[in-house]
Amino acid sequence: MRVLGALGTAVLVMLLLLAGLDRAVAAWFPRFDRVSDNFSPAYLEREVEALAHDPPQTIFIGDSVLWGYKLPAADAAPTLLRRKGLAASNLSFEGGSPANTYAMLRLLESHGVHPRLVVFNVNQKEFSQADSAYQKLHPSLETLSWNLLTADERKLLTPTPPSTTQKPIEVQLDRWVTSFWQLYALRSDIREWLFGDVDAVHALDDAIQAASGAKARTDAAHKPTPDRFEGTYDLSPIDEQNVSLIFLEKTIALLARDHIPAIAILTPTNHTLLHEFIDVPEYEKNLAFTHKLLASGGVRVIDLDKAFKAAEFIDNDHLTAAGNQRLAGTLGPVLAQ
Amino acid sequence: MIENVPGAQNVEEVLAHDPIYAVLGRRIAHPVVLGVLLFLIVVAVIVFGPSAESRFIYTDF
Repeated sequence: MRVLGALGTAVLVMLLLLAGLDRAVAAWFPRFDRVSDNFSPAYLEREVEALAHDPPQTIFIGDSVLWGYKLPAADAAPTLLRRKGLAASNLSFEGGSPANTYAMLRLLESHGVHPRLVVFNVNQKEFSQADSAYQKLHPSLETLSWNLLTADERKLLTPTPPSTTQKPIEVQLDRWVTSFWQLYALRSDIREWLFGDVDAVHALDDAIQAASGAKARTDAAHKPTPDRFEGTYDLSPIDEQNVSLIFLEKTIALLARDHIPAIAILTPTNHTLLHEFIDVPEYEKNLAFTHKLLASGGVRVIDLDKAFKAAEFIDNDHLTAAGNQRLAGTLGPVLAQ
Repeated sequence: MIENVPGAQNVEEVLAHDPIYAVLGRRIAHPVVLGVLLFLIVVAVIVFGPSAESRFIYTDF
């Protein structure tokens, strides 16, 4: 009996401390310059709820190009614009696409967020069925937005397959714990915040790889060459069955319906690297088609497709830190209007 | 006599002179310390645990 009493006290102390920590996490966990690599539904929901209470601001909803792929958050163009005084939030993420842009807008709409301006990028490679985000939502966005989409919209998308490492009971338990425990729900964001990587083991491994020189050798072996991008861009005419086109049209319609001013950036593309694949009339036709579609729907278009030099790219479309600086410099005067 | 503790005849008498044990030895302190330990273990498992929830779908070249 005495042992049981002691155990009960121990569990009570643990629960009290966990509850206190959870209150602290909920109150003080930071809002980042951009979502993390592996952001959780809890973080995204927290951010969207905060945006609903913030004064209207510019919201970037793009893919890895606007997220700042392979760069620290501080070097991404939206962060640079914020540092210059633009009231803005970056909800771009790796794996963005027109379907993801639309789902994010639906999520913002459902929470009563009224952006002053939405800035999104339209990347020609995302009209290709081979693109990983062509008809997939980011799993965290999918968790929050799936029920906001119509049945017809959901049919166009491939839902995230069930986990192969978790049993159904574990998935249920995970959902239940996530619903009331912030520390657990935000664990992937907390790990990225603390370690700068998905978890401590990966962070340690990265540090060892960097110290041993293995990382530099791997990076050198992964220099982008044209052959790596063969098939990345689908040059067949974009037709009405194209899932990215359908969601781009829905995005334009939603922005018009909600009277949200919007700017679409035609994504900077490395024409030097991709010359043999995309410097053809078919690519130009598809680019002109999307440009016209956006403009006719009332979206202001900034065509940056050929605006950057090869040296400003990391690969086919991701910009270097200098490239992001120039992108911020290009967007700054337009966004300030 | 046990070394370093003048007059101590057994382990209990040695521990009685230890300030940490004096705290841990109090009846109320046991479950509280255990509770704090459990709390630290739970937090450490969450923070330092391996990531099993990778959502990364972006495919690099």
